[in-house]
Amino acid sequence: MADALQLRLKQLIVSTLKLDDVKPGDLPDDEPLIGAGLNLDSIDALELVVAIEKEFGLKITSSEESRVALASVAKLAEFIRARVPAERLPT
Amino acid sequence: MTPRIAACSCRTAFGDAEATGAALLAGRRALALAPVLGAAGGDPVPLARCGGRALDEAAPPEWLPILDGLAREIPEGPWGEAGHPVFLTSSNFGVGSLHAYQQSRDTAHLRFGTPFLVAELLRARFGWGPDLTLLSHACVSAHLGLLAAERRLRAGTAERALIFSFDFISPFVTAGFHALKILNGAFPEPYAERPTGAIGLGDGAAFAVLAATGGGPAIRAQALYNEMHHFTANRPDGAGFDGCLAPLRPAAAGRRLWIKGHGTGTLEAGRLEAQTLARLFPDAPLVSWKGSLGHTLGSCGLVELAVALAAVRSGRIPGTVATQPPCCGPTVALDSFPAASCDAFVLASNAFGGAHAAVLVSHD
Amino acid sequence: MIERFITAAAAEDPGAETPAATRERLQAAFPRGTTRRMTQLGLLIGSVLQATAPGECDAVIYASTYAENQALEEYLASFPTASPTLFQTSIHPSAVQQVLIARQQPVRELFPLTGKPGLGSRALALAALCPGERVVVCGGEERGTWLREAGSASEETFAFALGLSPAPEGAIGRLRCGSGGAAAAWDLRELWRRVRDRESGRGLDLELEWL
Repeated sequence: MADALQLRLKQLIVSTLKLDDVKPGDLPDDEPLIGAGLNLDSIDALELVVAIEKEFGLKITSSEESRVALASVAKLAEFIRARVPAERLPT
Repeated sequence: MTPRIAACSCRTAFGDAEATGAALLAGRRALALAPVLGAAGGDPVPLARCGGRALDEAAPPEWLPILDGLAREIPEGPWGEAGHPVFLTSSNFGVGSLHAYQQSRDTAHLRFGTPFLVAELLRARFGWGPDLTLLSHACVSAHLGLLAAERRLRAGTAERALIFSFDFISPFVTAGFHALKILNGAFPEPYAERPTGAIGLGDGAAFAVLAATGGGPAIRAQALYNEMHHFTANRPDGAGFDGCLAPLRPAAAGRRLWIKGHGTGTLEAGRLEAQTLARLFPDAPLVSWKGSLGHTLGSCGLVELAVALAAVRSGRIPGTVATQPPCCGPTVALDSFPAASCDAFVLASNAFGGAHAAVLVSHD
Repeated sequence: MIERFITAAAAEDPGAETPAATRERLQAAFPRGTTRRMTQLGLLIGSVLQATAPGECDAVIYASTYAENQALEEYLASFPTASPTLFQTSIHPSAVQQVLIARQQPVRELFPLTGKPGLGSRALALAALCPGERVVVCGGEERGTWLREAGSASEETFAFALGLSPAPEGAIGRLRCGSGGAAAAWDLRELWRRVRDRESGRGLDLELEWL
């Protein structure tokens, strides 16, 4: 069964970054988000961070920390789970 | 024709150029933690403001009297009239007023929110004529004014040129850099090797008068280069730094240089800058003052020029205030050193888009 | 007197075209995937720069009175969770940087001008002082929405570009600076109109002549 948090993150990535020709389901779980096939860059990463902070109520304080958090969809989900109460996460 | 700096002064959170130089020599840091959104709160971030000014824009802006004080130091002249062009440079001009308007819907802010309105206000306030050029290229804005002014002098269409530059921080800009995650809760340590980078932001304003004849420190070379690799990242091979700084080498030959680098406190750009400078100018001590003053944005080139010239006059060049070792380059100077050990300096600045600007000034 | 020859010229006059329609119309002019974050003004500047594509040794003079109206409006609306993308996109001279970054085209010099009275003439005058084989002068505006209603954004959308060279080969026009006399200076719209309509004339102490 698809991970609800990862699915939500993929939806957030597509809508926040205006990836008009990409479907959330097309995004891989374990591949690098930035600098790989999607042609996303560090500004996209920061825009995603803002959206994630807003949605999950967490804080990512530096550009270096955001780079770690956004290593992949799976890593991002792991990063969020470690910091956000379970009741705030999609099920 | 070698352009001479006939006059140059500034305002920072410490005061004028002499006061700023003295504070830097004493190792003082102007930056202090304050809410990123001003009255609206938010995370504490390092900011340095002139005269206890509020971060939120007022109408009229609280920084106008600061510019009045600075303008009183400009030598007499028919500025903005034939042969005396004015180059007004800023990254933000009064854009913080548009944020204030958006928040309050008080239309009084709109009179200060657009570059040409601010320019007309200053022109009327300071009695400048119509020969007024506005340049705005983020954090290399002031350098463009210096280079454009030099070209007017060389073309013989100016005897003297006034470059006037200012940037006063507001929630517009602090929130933007906070969103970029480089204005965070940490104080900047330019050129330090540490796990995360951080910048501070500061108010700054300055002017310089360039003259085709007469005495004063001489502008020996200026250079620009624009990488256009990425908005907020440099080419990882450092070619952009090289593209701007290498053309200064012929003018630097035989001179004993020191270097006032851009050094905001971000890690990657700091490393690239320090390493490129160490390769091109291995004997030149490198300093940054943004760990104390914060990054004064578009005004930084001219503000730091005024501080550099004041430091030369005082006989001692401030080191890289607030940075703790280890550093990311072998030439980074943490401590102050005697001005007499050098006879010229390079002042370098960078901006969004991989923009680079540098000027080489001899002490005499 | 300084003389420069116009080697290329282009103008965009999109009227009331929406930003989305401009994107649709012009996206083929950019590498795939690069228009996603581009503004309407960026797209238009990219269009006019096709005819005058600057190279690494060139200088670019870019002029805009209001610059990135739409990104500025959206950035202000994003508070208190400010958008990093809109912040950097809203800063002058984002439009020309969007284009040159999308095309990975470095340039030696970039002089972004702003202001209103005489801005077109000032851009040409500064271009004439740039050394080198070629200088590109470009500029434009994009129509604002709520900031326009507040009188702080452009009423119109337009863009233009001129390629200038010291050599007369292939010239389609000529620019003379310091030609004496002091005609009324051109604002940006007036310069754009003269490029679009290929109309000769004098502005400040400049003479623009189409051959």
